[in-house]
Amino acid sequence: MSAERSFSKEVGLLRLREGEEFHGEGILAVTKALLQSGVAYVGGYQGAPVSHLLDVLLDAEELMNEMGVHVETGANEAAAAAMLGASINYPLRGAVGWKSIVGTNVAADALSNLASPGVVGGALIISGEDYGEGASIIQERTLSMAMKSSMWLVDPRPNLTSIVDTVENAFELSEVSNTPIIMQLRIRACHVQGRFIAKNNKRPPINTRARQKDPAPFEYAKLAHPPVTFVQEKLKVEQRLPEAQNFIVKRSLNEFFSGDIDRLGIVLPGGLYNTLIRRLTRLGLADDFGKSRIPLFVLNVVHPLVPRQITDFCAGKNAVLVIEEGNPEYLEHQINTVLRKADIQTRVHGKDVFPMAGEYNASVMHEGLIGFIEAEGLGIGDPEVIRTEAERVKAVYEGAQATFPATLPPRPPQFCTGCPERPVFSALKLIQSEVGKVHIAADIGCHAFATFEPFSMGNSILGYGMSLASAAAVAPFQDKRSISIMGDGGFWHNGLATGVIGTLLNEGDSILIIMQNGFTSATGQQFIPSSTEGRGGRASKISIAKTLQSLGVPWMRTVRTYSVSEMVDTLREALTTSDKGLKVIIADGECQLARQRRLRGENAKKLEAGNRVELLRFGIDDEVCTGDHSCIRLSGCPSLTIKPNPDPLRDDPVASVNNNCVGCGLCGEVSHAAVLCPSFYRAERVRNPNMVERVLAAMRNSVIGWLQGGAT
Amino acid sequence: MTAPVTLLIAALGGEGGGVLTSWIVNAAKDSRLPVQATSIPGVAQRTGATTYYIEIWPQTWDEVGSTPPVLALAPAPGEVDVFASSELLETGRQIQAGYVTPDRTLLIASTHRVFATAEKMQMGDGRVDEKKLIQAAGDRSKSHILFDMEGASKDAGAHISAVLLGAIAGCRSLPIEPEIFRQGIRDEGKAVDANLAGFEAGLRAASGDIAVKEAAAVDRYQNVAPAAGMAARAEAEFPAEVQETLQHAVRRLTDFQDAAYAGLYLDRLQLFGNADPSLLIALAKHLAVRMSFEDVIRVAQVKTRPGRMARIRAETGASGTDAVTVTEFLKPGISEFCDVLPEGIARRLLALADKSESLRNWHKGMELNSSSVTGFLKLRALAGMRRWRRRTWRYRREQESIQAWLDLIENARQINAHLAREIAECARLIKGYSDTQARGTSNFARIRSALIDPALAGKIDADGAATQISTVREASLADPEGEALARTLLLSGERDGETRAAVQ
Repeated sequence: MSAERSFSKEVGLLRLREGEEFHGEGILAVTKALLQSGVAYVGGYQGAPVSHLLDVLLDAEELMNEMGVHVETGANEAAAAAMLGASINYPLRGAVGWKSIVGTNVAADALSNLASPGVVGGALIISGEDYGEGASIIQERTLSMAMKSSMWLVDPRPNLTSIVDTVENAFELSEVSNTPIIMQLRIRACHVQGRFIAKNNKRPPINTRARQKDPAPFEYAKLAHPPVTFVQEKLKVEQRLPEAQNFIVKRSLNEFFSGDIDRLGIVLPGGLYNTLIRRLTRLGLADDFGKSRIPLFVLNVVHPLVPRQITDFCAGKNAVLVIEEGNPEYLEHQINTVLRKADIQTRVHGKDVFPMAGEYNASVMHEGLIGFIEAEGLGIGDPEVIRTEAERVKAVYEGAQATFPATLPPRPPQFCTGCPERPVFSALKLIQSEVGKVHIAADIGCHAFATFEPFSMGNSILGYGMSLASAAAVAPFQDKRSISIMGDGGFWHNGLATGVIGTLLNEGDSILIIMQNGFTSATGQQFIPSSTEGRGGRASKISIAKTLQSLGVPWMRTVRTYSVSEMVDTLREALTTSDKGLKVIIADGECQLARQRRLRGENAKKLEAGNRVELLRFGIDDEVCTGDHSCIRLSGCPSLTIKPNPDPLRDDPVASVNNNCVGCGLCGEVSHAAVLCPSFYRAERVRNPNMVERVLAAMRNSVIGWLQGGAT
Repeated sequence: MTAPVTLLIAALGGEGGGVLTSWIVNAAKDSRLPVQATSIPGVAQRTGATTYYIEIWPQTWDEVGSTPPVLALAPAPGEVDVFASSELLETGRQIQAGYVTPDRTLLIASTHRVFATAEKMQMGDGRVDEKKLIQAAGDRSKSHILFDMEGASKDAGAHISAVLLGAIAGCRSLPIEPEIFRQGIRDEGKAVDANLAGFEAGLRAASGDIAVKEAAAVDRYQNVAPAAGMAARAEAEFPAEVQETLQHAVRRLTDFQDAAYAGLYLDRLQLFGNADPSLLIALAKHLAVRMSFEDVIRVAQVKTRPGRMARIRAETGASGTDAVTVTEFLKPGISEFCDVLPEGIARRLLALADKSESLRNWHKGMELNSSSVTGFLKLRALAGMRRWRRRTWRYRREQESIQAWLDLIENARQINAHLAREIAECARLIKGYSDTQARGTSNFARIRSALIDPALAGKIDADGAATQISTVREASLADPEGEALARTLLLSGERDGETRAAVQ
């Protein structure tokens, strides 16, 4: 559930019946597919691109109650993965979702312990692959995680019908082979808008309204505990693997597409299918409806492979091309081994024509195909069409490169207008100009935007909630205390245990700043344990300050983030005090996006009722501004911008506050704390002023007007 | 041959690109056309650059039959039919990435700029050249529709996404009738009137009906009558090409101090009357700016100008009975205080401050309500101090510094015109308040001792020094810590050493 967006409209989509058309986003189609599969429980942890899965289900509380489905937000991905433990003993279908690879890493312990005993109820992990263009995390693939734990990985073709079918099949595959399944969906597949024909939702046989009387009997074989773990390891390969492979063949989960150039073939995961077809079409080797002239073997199940399917596809071909992102090339290795053992002499191309690293987008796919065609002789297709297409692509690249001599300035995401976290970094910049640079351990969250200009702060990022832990071995070697930044989301996700408790245990002497804005804001303002509002008006309201007090944190201050001077003073004290031990500064300021959304509603109501409403914004006297832009270097607020200098005698642009200003007050605080120029003013507009204000304003206007009328 | 129509939208996070995409997808859906849209909102969040990609199959589902077309999830360079962008730099970015090509792409883009942080934070002017961006938009596209969408959206009271939708509908490159889009906006039922107004504005602009608004020139200096005499003198004594600058300058300085002060300006400039026009123009400009230095009196003058309240009221959108309160953020320190005192007292006070850290760091943070009568009167009293400005210590210092700078230029003019011009341009460094002002002054001092003085003394080549001054000046505007300046000075020093060694 998120404060940023209401999914009431999407909830309607979840109620669609047999034969009705679903039009919407990929991740919502997955959500609908879960209900069509009779899922009994759903969990997860927010993160692009899968946040909406949980957000929409939490907004669909009523429907979930009717269906008897249990929905829960995990405290982190490990909690979400552990939730799948319900399917070890009970025939309950469950699904959890998170951002991968990071979420999968956090969940890894629980996943290993889930995969070893295996499941009787279908267990599905929706893995939002934040890989390639626009990704915000380290670039690793999920396949290796599936392989090491013997979980099956499905990677459907990115159209809603295939995605929905794959969800339904995955539950069956999971149950048939007693194995948890990971379904990976690339960012664009999660956000693809398309359509499929819906089916009726299925109520799970055991559900929150039709409960089981008794718990499962004690069965040592279901524990991930020696000695049965040795048996389980064998079970994975001797029993579950063949069962899965049989099911994959029987239900045709992988797809074969025939083509007339049958001396060649292409093997690829489903997720890359659309990109490949468009490239083949441009090369005259396919049509827009997916009819390829080169036979295709589409792996909607990437792990495990079925050796029989590989030999069947490759036998009699001169060469196949294996398209697989990432390093090492797991699929290519396996296919080579299968062919070698079967003594099939088909050549295998892959990483010889494709790059080892990076996303396979249209340009990379084009180059790879050209490499394959060149390696296998130009007699493929119409050489003229292929040559023309290759030249066209080259010309596009060269033409674009020649457009501008230099690279254009980047535009990364940044703190929103009026964000409460920005002033903390203004204060950090000011205190460092006073005491010198300090080591700053950064973290995951909106505050990571401070790594961009104009702050350019942070020496390392080790994972969500890990900043303080990552400074553990830095602090003892530095003259000045190090500062770790952590969001409240990261604090609850991981930072409380790994950072705070770890530092207290080891009597570490460093500084932790916790950004208390009330939500996991970067992922869409989902509620967290310390949120003051929550699902259906209920909130857990667990206080960070009280939690820290109970742990015995020796030095703690709570500072309103917008009070820059106070923050600078507090930081100075934290950096210079002779008190040893952990020093925590809770930087308190509600997420401005959430605040503005709330205020807009409240103000609209007040105005409608003719009540008094105050509206604040800042402004700049452009005649006073000299165009030095110090204020911008200390703020970076999107609404604090520049404009051409209206002074005909000056060239440098002047600072200017645009209409998006929400009057957070930072500009005033910074111009005081940093002793900047006197250009800034705050303008407070009162709508529907009361009688006293009206009279006062009229009096002031006439007196000042009269004064201005006279000569100076 | 039938092929998908491809549409790439470039926008900034928070501009409503997602809503725009939904409008287009829904319009295609309502036209029974196969459609697919994707985005990467992971980075779209929080005002970063992002794109949305849509493919529409130009045949209805009935015509397509049972096998749906395979639509791509991501745009390919050189394969975009319609490129729409809500901002000019983002237009340039996608052109550079190859998504706009002369054989295929219709480009629809706004001409307004939302400056990136990297452009805004520079100490001088870090803006990307807009002309180059607009040139590229024309050169790299098959056809283009360029207009100020921000202006159009403000006029319509709509989001920029609605204007963009109108322009996309109006370009007639999609197989969808404009009326379908209108109906979509109505069906959605959110801000219908505003969105429709924005839509129509975009639609009109796409069909070439674009109203161009000229920005009205602002004349801040109200009391121009006393400047009339000096204006006439400027006209009589100086060539035509500097008149525009001079006419502005004499009014500015009369406003700053009085007509006699404007006369001093003309006297000073008179010495350079026979200089080459480029030096004279630069000098006329910089001298006027330097002579209207930013002391607290001037700040108070600006903040009490007639018309300021009305401007701020308009900025807040205030109307009718709305009350507007204006609060100024002033934080004068000991040096600003001394600036307006006579030299003797100021020096004594500063000598004390030298010994006392608390006095040296003393600042008075004030939040002054300038819309109240007392607040206004305080500022007005401060502005009134201009009568005594000539006796203030700041005035004395500024005049000395200006004279020293003019002397350098005059000396340089005897040796090399290029050198003289570069020294004149160094006035750009000296601006701002407190630390900023001190930094600029000290940067100029560094350039003077490293390059100007040696060049005037004939120790280094004058033309070479002029070029170096220009490089070093840019470097000193590169970062506030002066690291680039130090680096560049070091480099130029080394080069001089080498040159001198070679000469010897």
